[in-house]
Amino acid sequence: MAAKRRKMRKKIPHLLFLLFASFAPLCGQTSAPLTTADGFAVPQPGHIFTFPRDHGSHPEFKIEWWYLTGHLFAKDGRRFGYQATFFRSAAPDKSTHLHLAHMALIDVATGKFHHQERLNREGWDARSSTTTLDLHNGPWSLRFLDATAERMSLRGGIRADVGFNFTLSPAKPLVVFGENSVSRKGSAPTAASYYLTFTRLRTEGVLTLGTESIAVNGESWMDHEISSSQLDQNQIGWDWVSIHFTDGRELMFYRLRLRDGSSDAASSLTWVDAAGRTQKSNFKLDVVETWKSPATGAVYPIRVRLTTTDPSTGKPITLHVEPLAKKQELTGNLGGIPYWEGACRILDDSGRELGNAYMELTGYAKDLKL
Amino acid sequence: MRSSLTPFLLRRFTLRHWRLAPKQSALLVLILALGVAVFVAVRLANRAAVASFSNFTETLTGQSDWSIQAPAGTLPESILPELRDALDGRPVHIVPVVEVTASPPPSPGNENKFGRPSYTLLGVDLLSVANLARPQDKPFFNQSVDSRNSDADTGDFWKSFNAGPQVWVSRDFADPLPAHIDLVIDESVRTVPVAGIIPSAPDAPRAPPTLMILDLAQLQKLSGKTGRIDRVEFLIEPGPRADERRAELQTLLVDLGRHGERWSVSAPGAKRDSAEAMTRAFRLNLTILSLIALLVGLYLIFQALDGAVVRRRPEIAILRSLGVEESAIRRVWLWESALLGLAGGALGLLLGWAGAQIAVRAVGQTVNALYYSTTVASATPAPSEIALSIALGLVAALAAGWWPAREAARTPPAQVLQRGAAPAAGHRVMRSLGFGLAFILAGILCAQLPPLRFDGGSRFPFAGYAAAFLWIFGAGILCAFLLPPFARLARGWGTRFAPASVALSHLRAPSGRHRLAAAALLCAIGMTAGMAILVASFETTMQGWVKRTLQADLYIASSGAQSASSQNRISASAAQALAGHPAVERAAMLVAYPISLDGIPTLLSGVDLTDPATRPDLPWVKAPRDNSVFDPALNAGLALVSESFTERFRLTQGDTLTVPTPAGPKSLTIAGVFADYGNERGSILADLPKIRAWFADDAVTNVSLYVKPGVDADTLRAELIKTYPGLSIFTNARLRSEVLRIFRQTFSITYALEVIGVAVAMTGLALTLISVLLDRRDELTTLRALGFRRREIALAASIEGLAVSACATVGGLALSGALGWLLIHVINKQSFGWTLTYAMPWGQLAALAVIVMTTGWAVSYAVGLWGADLPADREE
Repeated sequence: MAAKRRKMRKKIPHLLFLLFASFAPLCGQTSAPLTTADGFAVPQPGHIFTFPRDHGSHPEFKIEWWYLTGHLFAKDGRRFGYQATFFRSAAPDKSTHLHLAHMALIDVATGKFHHQERLNREGWDARSSTTTLDLHNGPWSLRFLDATAERMSLRGGIRADVGFNFTLSPAKPLVVFGENSVSRKGSAPTAASYYLTFTRLRTEGVLTLGTESIAVNGESWMDHEISSSQLDQNQIGWDWVSIHFTDGRELMFYRLRLRDGSSDAASSLTWVDAAGRTQKSNFKLDVVETWKSPATGAVYPIRVRLTTTDPSTGKPITLHVEPLAKKQELTGNLGGIPYWEGACRILDDSGRELGNAYMELTGYAKDLKL
Repeated sequence: MRSSLTPFLLRRFTLRHWRLAPKQSALLVLILALGVAVFVAVRLANRAAVASFSNFTETLTGQSDWSIQAPAGTLPESILPELRDALDGRPVHIVPVVEVTASPPPSPGNENKFGRPSYTLLGVDLLSVANLARPQDKPFFNQSVDSRNSDADTGDFWKSFNAGPQVWVSRDFADPLPAHIDLVIDESVRTVPVAGIIPSAPDAPRAPPTLMILDLAQLQKLSGKTGRIDRVEFLIEPGPRADERRAELQTLLVDLGRHGERWSVSAPGAKRDSAEAMTRAFRLNLTILSLIALLVGLYLIFQALDGAVVRRRPEIAILRSLGVEESAIRRVWLWESALLGLAGGALGLLLGWAGAQIAVRAVGQTVNALYYSTTVASATPAPSEIALSIALGLVAALAAGWWPAREAARTPPAQVLQRGAAPAAGHRVMRSLGFGLAFILAGILCAQLPPLRFDGGSRFPFAGYAAAFLWIFGAGILCAFLLPPFARLARGWGTRFAPASVALSHLRAPSGRHRLAAAALLCAIGMTAGMAILVASFETTMQGWVKRTLQADLYIASSGAQSASSQNRISASAAQALAGHPAVERAAMLVAYPISLDGIPTLLSGVDLTDPATRPDLPWVKAPRDNSVFDPALNAGLALVSESFTERFRLTQGDTLTVPTPAGPKSLTIAGVFADYGNERGSILADLPKIRAWFADDAVTNVSLYVKPGVDADTLRAELIKTYPGLSIFTNARLRSEVLRIFRQTFSITYALEVIGVAVAMTGLALTLISVLLDRRDELTTLRALGFRRREIALAASIEGLAVSACATVGGLALSGALGWLLIHVINKQSFGWTLTYAMPWGQLAALAVIVMTTGWAVSYAVGLWGADLPADREE
């Protein structure tokens, strides 16, 4: 589950508060109620997704996001990591929705990290279609160019310094995480989400950097998650990693950190094979290096060692997650607390490169309060 | 004997005289200071009145790059997604804005007055302004009134976000902040909770106390503008190629707005520029008036320095015979003038700054009444203005000192021997009948020239003012020619009364000093009386117009409508209810929309032209040639325009104009021209149903009610005020007096300027007599020897002063007649486009004459008493 997102400053409490929701501990068997106590829809087991409708917005649910991260390469060898995220959050009284969006770019050669956030209420300048993928927030948009082929266009950027004009096409089929259409997120019966992921999207287009237009191509990961559940009070943050292996497989890992420092039982690691089939696996995480943000004072574990079992061989494998740059912290203050979301590469014990990754680290800022 | 001599001479020559006669020098400085002060005060007040006008949005967003506005009415919200799509992902912030004026509800005692404070309510999406990357800003939706004193984080975002209409106010609004504020918007009084203080970034201008901020949607709802916006501002994201992107955005917006048809694109500050353009004529007029005092002062400095030259001639002659060159003498005199000028300029700056604090309010009120809502803050001189005022004092003193310096330098050494020689008869220009007549003639020619025209439709009658100044100088010269005949006329009486005989003998061959005193006084009287004639004519015309146009019994407008630019309206339902009241026999509705015609602001209004009762209300300047404008079947393409409109747009009866409306451009032919003294921007009047259809709006600006026979208007008013607390309801009599009160208020500042001018001239008269008496010290000794008593010497001086005053008064009044004509038919007509009926305020003129002559006599008598005590021979 790519469920992300940070705790927020109290400024705009509910928005990111709810983004936390899906991290409540997995629990089990209670059948899902139709709605939460405040009247929002709850994901139902056995739900049949219809597309392109379910790529669009689900306003009956409290919270929803579309989350793109990816690695891009220019012809001259320069490489970049980017993030483009669209959030929707319903007002508690369902009168309106807030739309938050984040964009970020790391220029690996220079180490320069750009990011910007945008917050609008639902209306002429921020909206999400309920029939297909068509998201807008200010000048930023993510929409299908061809709903059948699921080919999409991302327009975005960071102020006028960076521009994204990318076309993304699935290289692999859509993955629905969880069981029976539902990804359970905690002990509460309402704690569940619909969790849809394009694990590998071929990405090409033009990246504008300053006055330069750079033709780029690469691969992206896109999560779309829909839920209405509440945050577990005991969780203080999470670490999340998505990996594109060069052999055509992917891996998605998250660890929910509890107040006492342990990992929540809901933490998990999932492999996606070349055909798009998922398989959970065990994991062990060791922090290799931390980095203290000069901006926020947060100390992030930006270099970690993930030990798991490779389902293709049945043997243990150690994945070294190495950031392409340390300074990849989004310090914005519109939507919540700062977090680190960075482009990484994956090395094995011998230092051989196995693939590219994105890692997300939340709840490390020292002012974090639940 | 080079320039190193100058400091020595200044010290031993000039400063010694200043030390010996400190009062006289101080008086000179004061006169200069007064002249400079009046100019500075008016200038500062002008600037404050205009500077306070702004888009306000920058308080929140920083300066925008472009702004679009409908040429008439508001813009539909539907253009916003269109704009966003057209921008095709370009990093541009689009900020829709609603701007509404509102005022506090009438409180007992002021419900009958215009000019209560008015607030500017700005509606902006308060959530999305946070995207403008101003990290210092605090977001809006977590503040509470208490957040100043406690942890701001206790605010609940959603509670605040969903709280309904709430207003953020300036830190300067009130302390402590009230929990609620009552606002009159359209005809309703709304109680709106005060949510907090407008957050401001350090680089943004601080919110003025009259600014209030609401969330866009809430203000749209409150002001009945749901789905409509007043303007859209655009801010490009920072980054590379900003100029290129800004230019590209402009092209795109202009194309999308179909080159002004859907909307016009303007740069930041354009609104302020247009406000400046709108009031330019008014402010220039005031500036010119403010120069009266300086002009009068100029005469006096000239005269005082000239007097000093005469008095110090013996010393000059000694210096000359010691070998001091002409140029050195001249330099010393110019230095003396310069020092006086510097001191006068500096003191004038201080006085002017103090005066501006008063003047600023008067100017602000006028601007409010005539042009737009303004919030006058404070008037602080800019460095350039400090330099300007000092320079003004300096230049005035040098200009006035030039000729005396030359005279001094030319003093031949031999003149020392002729101590007490007859004082100089004055500069030959001042003695030349020909010059005087030439000035008058040049003035007459200037009066025929057209005004200068500026952008924004304002006009400045430069040649008209030039004519006024030429006439003033010319009359100043000619006036002195009245003195000898006056003396001759009075001779019969004079022979029987010794002091008179002494006084008149001096006037038969008037000295340069007499001429200057008379000219200065004439200048002040002429301008004051001329202005009085203008005001009287204006008032008479206004009264006639008010009588003619105000026929209804009750006049009703939103009490939020406090300024000429206010857009507060009465809803159609309220207007219908008012019209349908059982005590009402007939109602007339007026709607008025500010529009922009070729970029120049004006008004498009509608009344029911087909109503036969409307017609006699219209005061025609050019009546329609037939009745088709009143015929609903024929008047589709016809309109009436106000006289100011014809002047401003240079269009007249029979011309066709194209007006922008929300329903597209409409073509109208001018069928007739009516007088309208209430609005300088000019207005176009068309049939009400047409205007309503074009603007798709049935709210009205004004309702006038004609009550049924036997109904008491005051009683009905009292009843209606209870039902509609947000409406201003005037009875006919009350409105008439209110209109005239505002009118007089508009002129209040000009009166103040005149009073100062006359006071300066009086000081000048005193100064003249002082120097005259000093010149005649020998004569005074002789008179005393002949047995003249102190009182008789004073009487002689007072008769001399009275005679000068009388000549100046006669000349001044004659001049004022001409100036009045010029002000009414040239300057006013060219500036504002109003035709006025010439009216003479006989009472006021007589009072002025009496005051001037009495004061002149009294001042001269006092000076005479002082002169009588002068010792026979002393260093001054």
